Amino acid sequence: MERRIILPGEKIAEGRLSAPNTYYDGAVTYAAVIGMVDDEGRYIPLENRYRPAVGDVVVGMVTDVRHAGYEVELNLPHGGFIPTRDVRLTLQLGDFVICRVKMVNEVGDVDLGEVRRLPKGKIIEFPSAKVPRLIGKKSSMIGLLKDYTGGDIMVGNNGYVWMSEKSDMPLLLKAIAMIERKAHKSGLTDEIANFLRSQVGDKPRTPAGGEPQEGMEPEVGQGESGEETGYGSGQSESESSGDNYGQQ
Amino acid sequence: MASSESKVPLIIDGRRTDGRDMEDLRALRVEVGVIPEADGSAYIEWGGNKIVCGVYGPRECIPRHGASPYHALIKCRYMMSPFASLEEHSRSGPSRRSTELSKVIREVFENLIIAEKFPNTQIDVYIDVLQADGGTRTASVTVAAVALANAGIPMKDMVSAVAVGKAGGMLALDLNKIEDNFGQSDMPLAISHRDKRLLLVQMDGLLTREEVATILEMAERGCDKVHEVQADALKRFYQKGEGETFKW
Repeated sequence: MERRIILPGEKIAEGRLSAPNTYYDGAVTYAAVIGMVDDEGRYIPLENRYRPAVGDVVVGMVTDVRHAGYEVELNLPHGGFIPTRDVRLTLQLGDFVICRVKMVNEVGDVDLGEVRRLPKGKIIEFPSAKVPRLIGKKSSMIGLLKDYTGGDIMVGNNGYVWMSEKSDMPLLLKAIAMIERKAHKSGLTDEIANFLRSQVGDKPRTPAGGEPQEGMEPEVGQGESGEETGYGSGQSESESSGDNYGQQ
Repeated sequence: MASSESKVPLIIDGRRTDGRDMEDLRALRVEVGVIPEADGSAYIEWGGNKIVCGVYGPRECIPRHGASPYHALIKCRYMMSPFASLEEHSRSGPSRRSTELSKVIREVFENLIIAEKFPNTQIDVYIDVLQADGGTRTASVTVAAVALANAGIPMKDMVSAVAVGKAGGMLALDLNKIEDNFGQSDMPLAISHRDKRLLLVQMDGLLTREEVATILEMAERGCDKVHEVQADALKRFYQKGEGETFKW
């Protein structure tokens, strides 16, 4: 499939196209960030700034404990807030959490719900525009990484990736860096599979006897619902954040 | 006019001091992603100019009372290094000149960045001139546009800039330092790529109406050439995907 890189201000389509990271001037829709256009005219951003939308799954770290709730660092200018009245668990400074965006107001303040604490591990930053690629079609990429590195991984729409301390972190970091570099190429899942096989050997290291995860349900953050699709897939673009930057 | 020409001959046998034709640009090279820690960055070498630009944000607005709930603030800081050119800039830090340049560059991007989507934040554009050879403001606008595209900040359009002036009694594109200092007139222009809006117009010296009309045409052609270099730099950066980062 032929893909063309387009710059901000280049035309994508006549008329209004409601996709994130586009700009509509009343007659024509333009790209607002650098991206790619494929044969079918589908526009895929290569860079963007994460803008939270209700329903997004986000990974973050608790940065402040207050009477009314917890402040969470989310790779955003202001951070999110977990109101105490909505959660039962007690969090501490520095805890890693995965939650769902409950509300975003006009000035971008984020309220979070469905909070789960994540076990010991590490959080790294990943470009939010490339998150669909890290998850893969029906979370195939995540599954692959889990199998070969032996630990759990959680990916938030905000671009934060949590990885369990049980996983083979050096290998996992290498693989994630590779996905980030080659996010715009097709056949990436196979390439990563080959890479992991060359490092680990043929046998996937399945985690020994299930992950102890404080009542965590798998549907959140792992893209198991299959709604997040890769760049290369024929499916529709991830439902992710926001409307287009049109004139109101 | 005759007296200034007699001192420094700027045009000999129809060629300029550096051997260029009247409508030739100096050697131009742009690199993307030169500062890994920045959200977006770019580096430009344009003739003897060497300029690096880093973009950060949207991030929390400091001081907080300056924030706007309606849009992101765009903050631009142009700085010339103390070693950037032979004379005059013996000390860096804010000066009359750099304050002016920061303002005019900021205003170019206030017209392009879709800031309404990031309330209560600021976007920082840092421009450092490492070496100066005339036309740093146009080179700064050119490199900052690339850095902003690399940062994934939504923009309505790309912008390129070039100076046209009168040296040795003739109109010349992309003045160098000698032509700027000893020529009759200098007119830096920044033109958006798609809709050809003039986002920066300044003028030193005197020009007739007819000369200005010709200058606008020359600048438009010059900006198209500059845009090609910008686009090529971004495309190279996003196509290679093998992770070779820029080496100084």
